[in-house]
Amino acid sequence: MNEFKIDNKNKITSGFIAPEGFFDNFTIPLNREINQQNTIVKVISINSKRWITSVAAVLIVALSITIYSKMAVIHLEDNTIENYLTSQSEISQFDLINLLDKKDIEDLSLELNLYNTKIDEDFTNGIEIENYLTEIN
Amino acid sequence: MEEKDFILQLLNPKTQNNAFQKLLSDYKRPLYNHIRNIVLDHDDANDVLQNTFIKVFQNLNNFKGESKLYSWIYRIATNESITFINKKAKLNGKTSRELQSKIVDNLQADTYFDGNEIQVKLQKAILTLPEKQQLVFKMRYFEEIKYEELSTILGTSVGALKASYHLAVKKIEIFMNKD
Repeated sequence: MNEFKIDNKNKITSGFIAPEGFFDNFTIPLNREINQQNTIVKVISINSKRWITSVAAVLIVALSITIYSKMAVIHLEDNTIENYLTSQSEISQFDLINLLDKKDIEDLSLELNLYNTKIDEDFTNGIEIENYLTEIN
Repeated sequence: MEEKDFILQLLNPKTQNNAFQKLLSDYKRPLYNHIRNIVLDHDDANDVLQNTFIKVFQNLNNFKGESKLYSWIYRIATNESITFINKKAKLNGKTSRELQSKIVDNLQADTYFDGNEIQVKLQKAILTLPEKQQLVFKMRYFEEIKYEELSTILGTSVGALKASYHLAVKKIEIFMNKD
């Protein structure tokens, strides 16, 4: 049997196919979703319902104070927040990247405290260097 | 039409709808292939593709034209795919590699996979690579994306990408030549 070489062989395709008509029908639910997001929400004038708003506000404040004073303070571990973000929220890495500005990145690098000596130490302790090759610019 | 004009059409509320339909028609097939190569399963690829286009639409106003529209859209699709795999793996109590191994093991029973043993073996070989090398190999080998474009999409230098692809090919050839 001939030795397998990526460049010598005829190109191997991924083999993945889409169902028939998938691309024709694909845009229908997508356009519906996008149109929904674009729908303008009608805003009810606050002035015309001022007295209702005032009563509601007083009730909300009164209820909030009562509930808040009875509630035990919950301390969330970082890990819990991370798990929530991963499994429940719609926040992706792309969203997070978009939220970071230059100052955030500088703060992060200070917080992570990655000195060269630490990196050297890690590499000499047998970390697979080739896994990191692609990260080096 | 030049990309600059097309972007202006995408940003103008009056022309946005038509321009976005053109974007959908141009990108739906290549992006599906890109996403499918990462997530492997058709239904997952469908979900991620929908999310990608929604994200593109929502973020059009944030696109500053610093990179090509193509690279920007592919970057969103890649991030969405990786986020999706990680989230799905976590929900199933598995690592993303375990999750992907399971999909590859069942590939031949997949209605939307039309491949032979060599193609399944190649997918298994790819799974042995580190995550970033998998991405580089799939995008270079299956999708034939140029290194310069890969560099903008993945935010990695051309040199590092070439080294990564070279290493990936070596490992895959060793795996494929095992009995």
